[in-house]
Amino acid sequence: MNTVELREVTKTFGKHVAVDSLSLDVPEGSVYGFIGPNGSGKTTTLRMIMSIFHPDHGDIRVLGTDGAGADTDRIGYLPEERGIYPKMKLREALIFYGDLKNGRDLPREVDRWLERLDLGAWGDKKIDALSKGMSQRAQFIAAVVARPELIILDEPFGGLDPVGLETLKDAVLDLRRGGATVIFSTHDMQVAERMCDYIFMIHKGRKVLDGTLDAIQDRYGQDTVRVRTGGGAGALAGLAGVEKINDYGRLQELRLAPGTDAQAVLAGILARTRVESFELARPSLHDIFVRIARPETEEVGHA
Amino acid sequence: MRKTLKLAKREYLAAVRSKGFIIALVLAPILMSGSILAMALLGDKVDTTDQRLAVVDRSGVVAEALVAAAEERNAQAVHDEAGKKVRPAYLIEVVPPAADAAAQRLALSDRVRAGELRAFLEIGPEVLHPGEDAEARAIRYHARNATMDDLRGWLGWPVNTTLRKARLAEAGMDAAALDAMLIYMGVEAMGLVERDAAGGAAAARRSSEGEALGVPFAMVMLMFLMLMMGAIPQLNAVMEEKNQRIAEVLLGSVSPFQFMMGKVLGGLAVSLTGAIVYVALGVVALSYTAVAFPVPYHILPWFFAWTLLAVVMTGSAMAAVGSACNDPKEAQSLAMPAMMPVLIPMFLLVPVIKSPTSGLATGLSFFPSFTPMLMLLRQSTPEGVPAWQPWAGLAIVLAATVLTIRAGGRIFRVAILMKGQPPTIKNLLRWALRG
Repeated sequence: MNTVELREVTKTFGKHVAVDSLSLDVPEGSVYGFIGPNGSGKTTTLRMIMSIFHPDHGDIRVLGTDGAGADTDRIGYLPEERGIYPKMKLREALIFYGDLKNGRDLPREVDRWLERLDLGAWGDKKIDALSKGMSQRAQFIAAVVARPELIILDEPFGGLDPVGLETLKDAVLDLRRGGATVIFSTHDMQVAERMCDYIFMIHKGRKVLDGTLDAIQDRYGQDTVRVRTGGGAGALAGLAGVEKINDYGRLQELRLAPGTDAQAVLAGILARTRVESFELARPSLHDIFVRIARPETEEVGHA
Repeated sequence: MRKTLKLAKREYLAAVRSKGFIIALVLAPILMSGSILAMALLGDKVDTTDQRLAVVDRSGVVAEALVAAAEERNAQAVHDEAGKKVRPAYLIEVVPPAADAAAQRLALSDRVRAGELRAFLEIGPEVLHPGEDAEARAIRYHARNATMDDLRGWLGWPVNTTLRKARLAEAGMDAAALDAMLIYMGVEAMGLVERDAAGGAAAARRSSEGEALGVPFAMVMLMFLMLMMGAIPQLNAVMEEKNQRIAEVLLGSVSPFQFMMGKVLGGLAVSLTGAIVYVALGVVALSYTAVAFPVPYHILPWFFAWTLLAVVMTGSAMAAVGSACNDPKEAQSLAMPAMMPVLIPMFLLVPVIKSPTSGLATGLSFFPSFTPMLMLLRQSTPEGVPAWQPWAGLAIVLAATVLTIRAGGRIFRVAILMKGQPPTIKNLLRWALRG
């Protein structure tokens, strides 16, 4: 059973095509990651799933309901740009948001979440007294407190410190274990790699990647070498068969030209410097993202 | 509907719990009655400096009598019973007419400018028997600001009494009887005679300003206050919630229409709370004061009906405009035009209250956005309106309110998440018509 199904969905704003005949299936109980450059259509897609926008063409089914009538009570939504009434007290505000979705047993549920996300001491404080990270966690609670079956999170992890990120990540995975389907958009490729059952990439309104991380990486083959050497990036310049070098300082990632023998490359490096580690790998999601989106940014750079 | 009411409840509680609401509730009537009080107090604080008037009497019949009249007035009206000076004395200086009238006027004008005189009065030679020559029969008062001048207002009566007496004396009347002949009788303002319990004629009441002006004004001012409390602020409130991204979080749970109506109904509850508090206070206050006229309590249900519709209609329009604004600057520049439908009837109060059944007043009171205020105003006057008119007005306003909510809802749905599109009339109309 799919929780969300998009069929040939198109949405335009004036002359700008934000989403272009997009089809997508989000299986029940999965964690689905949306990635893509800024302005590629992620938020528009999420808003269409929420019935905040209606598509110009195509069909959307959410939780078994057709079209515009998505039952918002069963969906938790955390928009990218979000705010809570600044003058309300935290606990009161969260109960209000839960109540809007007809949530049950809200006072207890709110307290449980406040404890869980380290906000227990802040329940009686006004929203505008919270720090940025705290209000971000609070907004997450507002989205999930009514126990939704589908949770849509637009950039939930942006701007969080590592501890906050781990806490929120665990919370999302717990919700999935509880049976919920989770869709989230992110710019953090590592988060997407570690958390998502499926990854969907949208670029200029069109679907460019869709599948499990394994399936996506398989499409690109084992064309990547991660290497750590005594000479660093300087010693690797101009190696035969290497298309591109990503320099991470202590580690370099080499993309091999199609048909290149990795052993020959290793021999080439050994001839120049001492090799500390050499790993033949599939490209990271980050690398795949950049490969798809880069031409765009280079164009922009020359303009 | 349940979600709308939940939103409305939150809006209402957020508003009435705020200090601003309590302050506004207390402050608004204080400010309003304060300005009336200030006018009453300042009205008494007249300048009591004596005023010197030069009189150039080319007719030769007025000046002497004018001096006598001024002295009589000064003896009676300048000091109150306690001997305190409450008005200026009028001091008349008779100036013999000069051959060169123009030069004399210039000289006297200079004396006024120098502060020696308050004004000068020039009486034409033929005022006793005014002929065709407009110059010769003119009586002219020259001062810095002749229009707004109590002294000029006072002069008309003694000057004309003198002239009439002189004419009557010429016609052979007994000078001693003239005063009695010229006694002035005022006209009293009375209401119509009602039937008493026995079916006979009851005593007519004296018509009062309170009845003719006070009640209608109070009703409309109260409605205006309620609009300022519960409807007008929607523009900024919605703009802020759009800006603070509160809107999109809510749209994850409610439809744009529910969101808008939640705000409008919350504002309505705030307005009605204020109205109930004021009306209750007013009724209590009136029951403890001796009012010379029967208070038209039958108008109160209409007051609440009109206020309710006006707040919903105006509130929806304001929320829609607010949803289209991207920043406080845009909201500010739209606030004035958006308030026009509410402000225009405020400027029409005086002509409508003077003749509430005139064609103009009737016509204006059927223009939907004016109807609540102007119909209520006309209903509250002692004259009243034909019985069918409020009901017809109510039907029109109901239809207009439904239309406003629908158009506002369309604008709201498009605009609440839109950024960078300015709230021009063209955009608003396009969104209202096409959604």
